[in-house]
Amino acid sequence: MASYSSLQQLHASLPAFAPLISQSLIPYLAWSLLLTSFGLGFYFTTLPKHSVPVTEILVALVASILGGFGTVAMFCTLGVYI
Amino acid sequence: MGFVYWLLAAASLAATTNAASSSSRHLFENTNIQRTVELGGSLTHVTTTIAVKALGHGGPNVYELALSELEHQRTALLEVKLKGGAQNLAVEKHGFDPTSNAYLYTVELPPLAQNATATLVVNSILAHASKAYPASIKQADPQCLLFTTEAYVLSPYKTLTERTKIRLPSPKVLSYSAPEALSNYAPEGSKEQARGIRSGAVITYGPFDDLPPTTGKFFAKEDQQLLSVHYEYETPVLSVVSLDRWAEISHWGDNLNIQDNVHIRNDGPELKGHFSRLEMQQAKYFNKVQHQVLTHIPLQLPPGIHTPYYYDSIGNVTTSRYRASPKVPGKKRPMPSFLEIRPRYPLLGGWNYTYTLGWDAPLGDSAKYDSKTGKYVIGVPFMTPITGAAVDEASVTIVFPEGAENVEVFPPFDVDSTSRFTHVTYLDTIGRPAVVLRSSKLTDQHTGVIYATYTVPVRAHLAKPLAVGTAMFGFFLLAAFFRRVDLRIGSTKSKRS
Repeated sequence: MASYSSLQQLHASLPAFAPLISQSLIPYLAWSLLLTSFGLGFYFTTLPKHSVPVTEILVALVASILGGFGTVAMFCTLGVYI
Repeated sequence: MGFVYWLLAAASLAATTNAASSSSRHLFENTNIQRTVELGGSLTHVTTTIAVKALGHGGPNVYELALSELEHQRTALLEVKLKGGAQNLAVEKHGFDPTSNAYLYTVELPPLAQNATATLVVNSILAHASKAYPASIKQADPQCLLFTTEAYVLSPYKTLTERTKIRLPSPKVLSYSAPEALSNYAPEGSKEQARGIRSGAVITYGPFDDLPPTTGKFFAKEDQQLLSVHYEYETPVLSVVSLDRWAEISHWGDNLNIQDNVHIRNDGPELKGHFSRLEMQQAKYFNKVQHQVLTHIPLQLPPGIHTPYYYDSIGNVTTSRYRASPKVPGKKRPMPSFLEIRPRYPLLGGWNYTYTLGWDAPLGDSAKYDSKTGKYVIGVPFMTPITGAAVDEASVTIVFPEGAENVEVFPPFDVDSTSRFTHVTYLDTIGRPAVVLRSSKLTDQHTGVIYATYTVPVRAHLAKPLAVGTAMFGFFLLAAFFRRVDLRIGSTKSKRS
């Protein structure tokens, strides 16, 4: 188990935390992903109804993934740091 | 049978402890003790310099310190170091010893040969040692405090000479005690001087020569004296009744949010009569400061923070001044941010106020990443100190990102308790691990950093977007289902027929 002083030295020597996605890009990412997700959602409503809804599921999947990441980004944009 | 073995083990352990402590007492002698007491409001600083001479032939280098019941109750910080040394020595608590009639602490010294000397510097901070006296005053009256302490420093060793200096914040001393019995241990020619001499803002008691071990009920009853100093104090006596810090780590938001819920109290004399805003404004106009009234609290916050907020139970409190200090890359000691908060109303003696103060900071200012082990290391300050204020109860809750594993927390000093729970907030599925550290009797010197290590697997980072995506996909599936269901009441064909 590390001691306090060794951890203090380790903390001082390590590089700073850097997020995967830079904070300056988050607002743009939020709007673009959510708008795309809503656009795909509208497109979903116009799709013909087949017995095996392959296209519908694919469009829904893409829209959901984009919406998921877009929602997380939008929360961070609004100052709710989740 | 097991109980008998336990009894035998306990008895042998007690005998060993007693043997060790009693034998260590004969191995040292205090050649000189200089105690300096710096009086304040809710905090009192005591520095005791002890010149120690080793009498034994080597053996245990364990030096015993003793605190009376009065001192033990008030001591919020106790540090011991060798004079000139940078590091504090390890102090071990042994609790109350009935034989010594004192609370014992031991300090391990470096090996000392016979007749070798060492100088110890014992720094202690007492909380709430000075009491308001009189206990209630009118709004315009001066604020006075009363401080009491034992005349002779408690020590299980013989002391050759000892002196106590009490430094006051100002020369305004109303009275100080000068017990006649203090001349018992004073050398010839210094009998009167030893009972107390005041020079400006310093009162000196001593010298006292050839003191026997001052621990034990006999000395406490027959020889020990109480010193008291009654002085005027020209600053509000501020205490923090409770301080609850909440530190939330966000990897997605690259943010560390720190929020303090604080309950403060003015521990000065209580107000006699009614509060008069007119009298207070008049005093301000004529430059007559009412010293016991707390109107503002200056705070130093970390550099590089943003979006500070300050509110109380009524709402946002706009009476505050904030000066941001950016964190300049490469600068080792950046300037702290400055925040001066003004309570919604002035605090007179006995009055309380609760407020919430918080801010956001880039996570990179506090957290580091070790790519070799995949661990994150974060440093969270234990508290934002308020100069001169004693803190009765404090807690720090660190909320880690959802899915964090192998969480370990290292506080800068011993805390009373540590506990863990799961905190659920926005977009959480399994909740976030949180650790709570609780401590009591703290001072403005307890400003260390809590270090914590944790790991966050990749799947934990993806949990939130996938959770939202899954919910959205569920809605899409519902929509696909309802698109295929005819919810009309009756069909066109059946109506025509």
